[in-house]
Amino acid sequence: MENRSYADYLRGLDDATFISMFTHRPDLVTPVPPDMSSLAVRASSVPSLARAIDSLNKWQLQVLEVCLTLDEPFSERDVTSLSEESAVFILPGLVERGLLYRDKEGFRAPTTLKEVLGNEIAGLGPASMAKLKLKKLEDAPPAARKVLDAMVWGPPRGTIGDIKKPSAGVKWLLDDGFLIPFNQQTVVLPREVGIYLRGNKVHGELETSQPTITGTKRDARSVQVAAISNIATFLRWTEEILNFWAQEPASALRSGGLGVRDLKDLSLHLGVDESCAAFVAEVSYIAGLLTIDPDDKILPTHQFDIWLSQTPATRWQTLASAWLITSRMSGLVGKEGSKNVAPLGPELDRAAAANVRRLALSLLQENQSLSLDLESLYRAAQWHAPSRRSGGLQKDYLLWTLREVEWLGITGQGALSTYGAEFLSGGENTAIADDLPKPVDHILIQSDNTAIAPGPLEHEVAQELALIADVESRGGATVFRFSEGSIRRGLDHGRTGDEISKFLSKTSKTPMPQPLEYLIADVAKKHGKLRVGNTTSFIRCEDSALITQILSDKRLDILNLRKIAPEVLICGYEAAEAMNILRSCGYLPVGEDSRGALLSGPRIQRAQTKARPLRAIGEYERPDEIQIEGALRALRTGEKSSRKQSTMRNIATEALGSLPRTTANETLELLSDYLQNQPANSLSIGYADNNGMVSHRIIDPLKLSAGSLIARDHATGEVQTFRIARITGVAAL
Amino acid sequence: MTDGPLIVQSDKTILLDVDHALSTECRRAIAPFAELERSPEHIHTYRLTNLGLWNARAAGHDAELVIDTLIRYSRYAVPHSLLVDIAETMSRYGRLRLEADPVHGLILVTTDTGVLEEVIRAKKIAPLLGIRIDKETIAVHPSQRGQIKQSLLRLGWPAEDFAGYVDGQAHEIALKQDGWKMRQYQEHAAEGFFHGGSGVVVLPCGAGKTIVGAAAMAHVKATTLILVTNTIAARQWREELLKRTTLTDDEIGEYSGAKKEIRPVTIATYQVMTKKKNGVYAHLDLFDTHDWGLIIYDEVHLLPAPIFRFTADIQSRRRLGLTATLVREDGMEGEVFSLIGPKRFDVPWKEIEAQGYIAPAECIEVRVNLTEAERLSYATAEPENRYRYCATTRTKRNVVEELVARHANEQILVIGQYIDQLDELSETLDVPLIKGDTPQKERERLFAAFRTGEITCLVVSKVANFSVDLPEATIAIQVSGAFGSRQEEAQRLGRILRPKSDGRGAKFYSVVSRDTIDQDFAQNRQRFLAEQGYSYRIIDADDVFQGKL
Repeated sequence: MENRSYADYLRGLDDATFISMFTHRPDLVTPVPPDMSSLAVRASSVPSLARAIDSLNKWQLQVLEVCLTLDEPFSERDVTSLSEESAVFILPGLVERGLLYRDKEGFRAPTTLKEVLGNEIAGLGPASMAKLKLKKLEDAPPAARKVLDAMVWGPPRGTIGDIKKPSAGVKWLLDDGFLIPFNQQTVVLPREVGIYLRGNKVHGELETSQPTITGTKRDARSVQVAAISNIATFLRWTEEILNFWAQEPASALRSGGLGVRDLKDLSLHLGVDESCAAFVAEVSYIAGLLTIDPDDKILPTHQFDIWLSQTPATRWQTLASAWLITSRMSGLVGKEGSKNVAPLGPELDRAAAANVRRLALSLLQENQSLSLDLESLYRAAQWHAPSRRSGGLQKDYLLWTLREVEWLGITGQGALSTYGAEFLSGGENTAIADDLPKPVDHILIQSDNTAIAPGPLEHEVAQELALIADVESRGGATVFRFSEGSIRRGLDHGRTGDEISKFLSKTSKTPMPQPLEYLIADVAKKHGKLRVGNTTSFIRCEDSALITQILSDKRLDILNLRKIAPEVLICGYEAAEAMNILRSCGYLPVGEDSRGALLSGPRIQRAQTKARPLRAIGEYERPDEIQIEGALRALRTGEKSSRKQSTMRNIATEALGSLPRTTANETLELLSDYLQNQPANSLSIGYADNNGMVSHRIIDPLKLSAGSLIARDHATGEVQTFRIARITGVAAL
Repeated sequence: MTDGPLIVQSDKTILLDVDHALSTECRRAIAPFAELERSPEHIHTYRLTNLGLWNARAAGHDAELVIDTLIRYSRYAVPHSLLVDIAETMSRYGRLRLEADPVHGLILVTTDTGVLEEVIRAKKIAPLLGIRIDKETIAVHPSQRGQIKQSLLRLGWPAEDFAGYVDGQAHEIALKQDGWKMRQYQEHAAEGFFHGGSGVVVLPCGAGKTIVGAAAMAHVKATTLILVTNTIAARQWREELLKRTTLTDDEIGEYSGAKKEIRPVTIATYQVMTKKKNGVYAHLDLFDTHDWGLIIYDEVHLLPAPIFRFTADIQSRRRLGLTATLVREDGMEGEVFSLIGPKRFDVPWKEIEAQGYIAPAECIEVRVNLTEAERLSYATAEPENRYRYCATTRTKRNVVEELVARHANEQILVIGQYIDQLDELSETLDVPLIKGDTPQKERERLFAAFRTGEITCLVVSKVANFSVDLPEATIAIQVSGAFGSRQEEAQRLGRILRPKSDGRGAKFYSVVSRDTIDQDFAQNRQRFLAEQGYSYRIIDADDVFQGKL
């Protein structure tokens, strides 16, 4: 009987099969494995198989489950008899993915696959060792029937009071082997019984096709209109958020991310709820338009300036593409019932994010002009991604995705827009620029000191206006309000009153109202009358002649004096130092404190801080008798055990000669071979300890999992975990 | 994307481009559900509020219509979230209904038991409710009708009121249109009110609110209680009613400090209604003494607190509020709407002006430079006295004198806040002064003389802020005011807005001290008028002296 290994099977494949396999399972070639045996190891490793299973839909998964309940090798007929005829069409797909393989006798599955899917595949228990007379089940007494009914659809384990005193029903079942005692309190329903009771099928319900998606039909035109408005709004939000932070940078939390208060400010500024504000911030972040500086300031990047200069289509495309592939889920921010997750923080990554997004988008694509109903979308998505890894598909993720595509304008009124469709098919979306409202270059100033931009403003005009007016209302148009404060802000930024007036009369289509002119002139007149600055010390003298003399004294040039009033000079030096210099030049200054009181004589100086407590460094404290005895006992026990081990090891080394050496891949292959065929001999391995010392062990491998080998070590007689990476070589004894 | 006159903003404001060809049509379409907030020259601002949307529902407009209208006239795509929000808000209306019940009097009925469960658990609502009749019905004490409506509104579950109005004692009133005709907007306003049941009509000063009141009375045809601000206003109402309606002299009573007549149509002052005797409001009973079919609140923006409270208890009577300036610095506008009723009619001042029903007015702010000495005393004045100081400076007086001299052959009102300032002005200008302690008779005599042209200039205190009808006054000079009160400024302008017999325009001067707190207050005061499209022109005091007006 030829029992070819998985690696052998792979060696026999042609290129085409490999290509389709690698297309389905890209992780097999990243990085490219060095040889076929390492490919086989990787392909049958738990993470890779789990990934492959994740890509199956419900029907494929059901067929795979059926396969795994069968004894290997199995045939197509075996599979169809436990499910339905159309299952044969699924099998090639599973083989293509390398989840099943075929030899002369029939189909087989990599051994680790069962591990990935769990012990109780499709809610069925382990196969019974004994031959069962299943017909007898028809005559089961009602009590036994009840037990069977409870267990037939899984889980196949049941808890009973005590295996030694079973109830009548359980006893009847145990007697005929229809239940297998598992431990003192648990019984298991064997697989054969389960399948028999399920009517010789594995699944109660075969989900051969995707459940239909329902939703509301949308009119194509209104979808377009809504989508373009969403796109316009999203671009505006992004620009505003970044301009907002450019002016008043938010500070990142110590744990990373945006604080609750800053998020609230942001949502107030944009006039949207916090989840939406968080999303806009996140998209800007992943698109590289903003970053967190080393000093924890959240600021726009230079990329933002480049982005601003691009066409709306490109700008949108940049944001949407970044969003499409990111693993960050902004929906987690502020999710009820969970701890506070901060936007821009480190806790937003979810491995499933991009997949869920792709799945939802592809379903949207399939159901164009439909605004999808969340429940039906969830059911369909579950069919497409039934795998339970990491908690499975969460409904929230879908909800967030639907919300986000609407914000982004990939959908309008919930249905896929042509922009979204074009974007998903990799198009350029040049139509956006034509469909977006045309930017306007003028404003209308009114006598109530407001100005209205009746459409999206050109960038430069908007920037300038934002400087000299407060935004009162946003949307398709912008309402600006002029106030003393806003004009002052403009002046603070270096504009003059004249410049502001000129800019406004040039930009405004309506004549500038006189009160506004007055307002600007009034503020400009008052602006800058008061001057505030920092200085280290001052020199004051009521005799302005002396001040002039000091100012013109060449020897005092080092003081960097500046006259700010006829009787006051300011100086960059500390007062004490300035006084010393003045004294050395023959002047007679006296110190003055901030309240104007004279400071007389040099003060006797004292330290500002308290003295530190003295630190004494001495010998160790003498241990007491009990401690010493304890230490000694521990030492002796340790010694005894290690001597015993080393003796055993020495014996082994003597018997075996030099340490075995194999490559990592050979090691894995040998180990999996061992596990698959369970030969009588033990294995000898070389194993490196923490310090790099390689010792010789004789082991019986039990299980391979997650980079470790669980095996019984002959030296200690214990089951131990060996890190595969540390095994230097394997040889059969 | 259409090229409509509307821009719907994401913050629920709606901008209307007045210069657009469709603007009039569009204004009419959005008026039922959007509230006019500002109406300056080019772009008018409306706002969508919950209250406004619910009122629209109450008037029979549904969400679909609102959304359709917005989309039809909108220049850009309307934010989807806003549309969803509108639909949701409007669907909240009417899930609770107040109905009359033969057994229990007044009941609260719901179509959505969840909502009922929510509201009866609310702390503010529970004490107003009676016994639970069944799953969907609960009794309400009839006297709590106003209270419960108000509280439900605050909870966001407005109740639709099917309990109706009491008819009141019928009384035949008809308009007597001989030699004059109701203006179209007045008709609209009166009809809007009558169909809505109760509510507030907002019309500019001088646009004929009294006639709207009279027309409302003619619609209701029942005994009417009219509440006005002062005795002068009461007399004016009386005269106007005699002139415009079939009412005769002995059908109209005056209930004021001087007289206590109760007749089928009774005109009472707020002052007497809120007068306390031994700690109780002695005259509030007036509301109950008669089976009034209609209660009219003149200058409803001045409604005093006790009347507020009492109004809550008389929700079964029809109520009409009249005002020109529904702005209150205390932010109680919302209370007015919920107690008297929603805004039934509002029209931009400039539109009435364009129709020629109010005089075109020019607003001029005269900036006065304080002298060096005045500046110094201003700078060192106690903060609480600063406004008084800069509002009453000597320099201002000179400017006022000059202004009065420049308009020597016109009818001038000089209006101010501080009595000593007014006393001085009256003395220097040598014209009579009307203030709080001027006897009623004397006031009427002076106003009458002013109307006939016997006197051409009057100095008045805030007693003449409103309700005083002086048709031929063309010039108003404001020297000081109640700090930043927007409605005062508008009301004062209102004194000179009656259309003049020769079609002349009016001029409103506001004399303001430059670089003082006076100027800041002036800016706030002017906001309401600026939002109504009155553009202030600023001139320097020197220009006045040089005649550059």
